[in-house]
Parts: sequence; C-alpha cells; structure tokens
Amino acid sequence: MNQKEKIAEEIIRLRISQMIVNEEYKAKRLKVSVHLALGHEAIAVAVSETLEKDDNLLPTHRNIAYNLARAGKLRPILDEYLLKPTGLNAGHSGSMNLLNPERNIIYTSSILGNQFPVAVGLAMAGKIAGKKNVTIVMAGDGSIEEGAFYESMLMAQSLRVPVIFLAENNEWSMSTRIDQRRCSIDVSLLAKSLDIRYAYLEGNDPYKYIEALKDLRKFSVESSVPVCVEVKVATLGERRLPSSPEFPEGEFINYHSGPAPEVDLSEWPMIKQSDDDPIFALTKHIEKSVLEEDARRQFTALQKEIA
Amino acid sequence: MEEKKSLKYLEHVNGMLRKVVGSHDRLVVYGQNVSAGSRISGFTKDFTVKDTGKIINTTNTENSLVGFGFGMMLGGGKAAFFMKQLDFLFLGIDQLVNTYNIIRNSGHAKGSFTILPVTVDMGYEGPQSSSNNFGDFCSMARIDGYAITNKYDVEKILDAHFGKPGFRIISVSQRMYKDDIIDPGEPILADKDMKFAQYKDGGDATLVSFNFAFPYAWRLGLELEKAGKKPAVFNVSYMTPIDWEPILTSVRRTGKLVVFDDSKSENLSCFSLLAAARGIGLKKDIFIKRKLGDNWLNPVSDAMEIDYEVIVRELML
Repeated sequence: MNQKEKIAEEIIRLRISQMIVNEEYKAKRLKVSVHLALGHEAIAVAVSETLEKDDNLLPTHRNIAYNLARAGKLRPILDEYLLKPTGLNAGHSGSMNLLNPERNIIYTSSILGNQFPVAVGLAMAGKIAGKKNVTIVMAGDGSIEEGAFYESMLMAQSLRVPVIFLAENNEWSMSTRIDQRRCSIDVSLLAKSLDIRYAYLEGNDPYKYIEALKDLRKFSVESSVPVCVEVKVATLGERRLPSSPEFPEGEFINYHSGPAPEVDLSEWPMIKQSDDDPIFALTKHIEKSVLEEDARRQFTALQKEIA
Repeated sequence: MEEKKSLKYLEHVNGMLRKVVGSHDRLVVYGQNVSAGSRISGFTKDFTVKDTGKIINTTNTENSLVGFGFGMMLGGGKAAFFMKQLDFLFLGIDQLVNTYNIIRNSGHAKGSFTILPVTVDMGYEGPQSSSNNFGDFCSMARIDGYAITNKYDVEKILDAHFGKPGFRIISVSQRMYKDDIIDPGEPILADKDMKFAQYKDGGDATLVSFNFAFPYAWRLGLELEKAGKKPAVFNVSYMTPIDWEPILTSVRRTGKLVVFDDSKSENLSCFSLLAAARGIGLKKDIFIKRKLGDNWLNPVSDAMEIDYEVIVRELML
C-alpha cells in the first residue's frame, strides 16, 4: 500500500470508528457525552501526519477524530466512553478531556478557549528546554470568539514561540450559526494585525492539508513564531426536527453532540456527496472501488476489534 | 551600642524572593511590570534569574497568563507569575478551576507553577479592588494557598513551595508592606508544609489567626502576657480547612478560643475550626472578623478595629 492509500485508509478508519461509536450511542450504552466529528477526518489525519515526536497537540472537546488518529485503535477509546479501566485514560477522563500524552495529545479543553494559553505555555517550556518542537492547538469558530484566542496569539507572537493555532470553522456554535450570533471575523486580518502568518484550508483534500501543515510546522519551528490556520469543515449528522407551525419543513439542527440519529453504520461510510465529506473528497484521488474494498475490510476489522 | 535596624515586611519578602528566584534553573518569572518601573511597588525589585531562565514583562492578559503558567507546568517547566493585585486573578478563575483540574487529573504535569499575587488589603480602593481573601480562589478547586504574614512564614513557605513541582498560590499583604515584619521566632509546632504554625504555648487561651490576621493575634498574645496570662498562639497560613487536631488539643486545654479573620469574604476556612471547637465545648469563644459597614463599597480602611483591653478582660473572667 502506498502513502496515498494509507492516508485514505486512515480517513476511512476514523469514519467507520465514529459510526460504530454512534451506534453505541444510539443504543444508550455510552456513559459520557461525546461530540462526534463526522466530517473532520481529513484535517485530523493531516494534523496527525504532521506531528513529530516532541510536538504537542491540544484538541477541543470535539477530539474524537484526533484521538482515533493518534491512538490508531478504537477499542481503548470506546472503553473510555464506557468508563472502563481498559479505557485510554482508564476511565478517568471520559470524552471531552480525553488525553494520550504518549501520542502527543497532552491537553484537551472542554471550556472554550482555555486551551490557547496552555499551548503558549507549553511552547515556552519547550523553548526554555531547547526543544525544536511545535504545539498545535485546536479551535472552533466558537472558541475564536473568546478573548483567550486573541490574548494567546498576542502572547505567542510577543514571546516568539512556535504554536500553530488551528481553527476548524464549521460555522456553528452548538445550535447557532455564525450569522445568527455575530458579525463575521476575518481571521486572516486578525492574524495579519499581529504579523502572524495565516493559511486557509478547504475542500477536505488530505494530501494538500498535509503538505500545507508540514510547511507551516517547519516555518513555525525554524522561525520560532506562531502561525494561524483556518480550515473549513462541515460537522456531518445534521437533521430536521418534525414539522411545526413555526418551521413547516422542520427546524434545521446542526449536529453538536450526542448520537447522530440519521447516520447509520454502513460498509461504505460516505454520508454526503460533496466536498463537505472527506470520504467523497477521497474519490477524487483514488478509485471508488478501491476505497470501497478498503472500507469493507476495515469495517470487518473494526467489528472484530470491539467484539 | 549599635541599634538593630528594623526590617520591613516588603524588604524581607523581596529579599527572600530574590534568593529563591535566583536559585532555580530554567525558571520563567513573568507578570505585568515585573522588571519595569516600580517592579510591582518593590515586590519584584532586583530579580535576576539564571541564564537558563527568563524574566518577562507581559501583556495585560490575565486569563491567558494563568493558562500560560499551567502550560509551562504541563511542559515540565517552572513558572512564577507575579501579580500586582489579587483582584486581577478573577480573570483567570476559569483556568484556575478547569485547566488545573484537567492537568492534575492527567497526572502528567511534572513542572512547577506558582502565582504570587499581592492582596490589596489596605482598603481605600472603593468599589473596585475589594477582594482580600484569596481563600475564595483556593476553595473553588482545592488549590494550595498560603498567606505570608511574618518572618518565619516568608522563609519557610517560600522555601517549601516556590519552584516545587505542582501548583500553588502564595500571597502577600499590601497592608503590611511598610510595617516592621513580625518575628515570632521558631514555632513550637508547625507542619512540614507550613499550613499552620504555633508560636506560643500556654493554658489560658487559644488564639488562632487566618488570612492576613496574624498581627492582630500576635498583639493580643502580647497583651495577655502583659496581664500575666499565657496564651497559645497559632497562625493558619493555609487557605482551606486543614486537620484542626493540633489546635483542638490546645482548645481542650484552655477552653477559650479567639479566632481572627481579616477577610471580607463569607466563605471562611475558620468556620470549620469554630464548628469543630464548639463541638467539644468551650468556656468562651470570640470570633473577630472584619465587619462591613453600610459604606463598605466606599473607599474606607480594611483594617480591623480591635479593643484589646476588652478582649483581655473577657478572657480573664
């Protein structure tokens, strides 16, 4: 299997793994609340591929895709959601603060924005210790509204420390769209005002993402400066509520947390036929039949893993 | 005969801090104006760190400055955040509670983080800057917190905790800055973490001070001695309830307890001592707390007005 196919395999593994978690969720077997990240697989795999040994990764409460990518397995993560001693953190963390320090995930924040300054401190500790590493801290379009986002970018640039601020923009904060809650924020201008390099990623092309992130990592480490990346994502699993007088066609509900009732486990795990779905985006690079074959193989393997 | 020069509280705190700050490898000292202007009114004057460390005059980003320290700690570093005013720490409460809980639950934070705020307890600040009880901060996430009130505290608390693995808050009192520092001598009894110390022993009354109230308890101890009585004097440096048994042992002997707490908070560690002591039966208990008048939001003094003669008389009965 070549590198391109390996990346595709990872994205499919993350998707089917999440679908299995979703089925467990629907069956009410999970002990904790989980924020699925269906649709976030391409960026999660790209970040995971970018990380080097001493790097730090600080995801948010929606960390499942990153944890699956770094752990390489479903069982310990599922066990953590069941709060079993065999869980990734022995049932001590649950979902929103799930960690894997041996595989670079050193902190996860369920509080919007708390992770940003922690990342700057980690980067400073690395700098003082003479490490040549980077700290990647995740955000959403909701958490960049927190003052800590601006404060931490300001601190990181003032202190000249290598941090990649990576904002996953899915245009929703819980059930509120950006245009329902605030004016637009041009993150590129915000970064520019602090003289921080900015990059925008879209299309769920994992190969382009990996190339861009590796370049940015190199720049951040070599120059000892922060960079800011915004990536467009769609958190899949949306649905419409039953019709009501106010919403005759049913109110549109973006997926936030809990089970995604309209997503079913399937051997071919594509949810949406558009670039919003990283599985669809893979079909531009690899024959669909090859992907389908791999999906069937992984479906069986994952079922076996959790049996 | 040469007159012994008195040592001011701030001078002694700063002198001891200079010593410990200069002794740690890879220490990052940071805060607003830590090495600029008045150096936080002399609190961080003449600080130097080893070549492996760093002193940072920071941005005005208190929430992030707290999170930054936890990040340093998580990364195995040593961080010391000096703050001009305890009130500024309100902006960092989310980090103090949630971030600290996450990283200590992980068991992977091997570094050190110390926050050293000045408790602005002189008063006259008006409606702002009115927090003088950092026990409030400590109780929210069971944070180790220590108040420095005398010469022994300065030496032992900083020596025991500054730069050591883990997280704690160590605060100093602005009210005492220009006062001669009280030297109570070696304690008769103290725990290894300096959560409490007993400086006098006697069978006539048990005096216990909390927060930054030690000068009041010390003064009452001296007044009682002048009246021919022997008090036991304790100072509780720790901000949340501790094992009260050493103090209760004294209370069982004296049957008389005087508790001092100069905080304006209603969330006081001393309540738990009072409840425990009252449970064993007391001949007399006096609780001296900062009383807030109708004008407490106005610029008024934070000092407690205590009539020592009255208290001595009550304890003589």
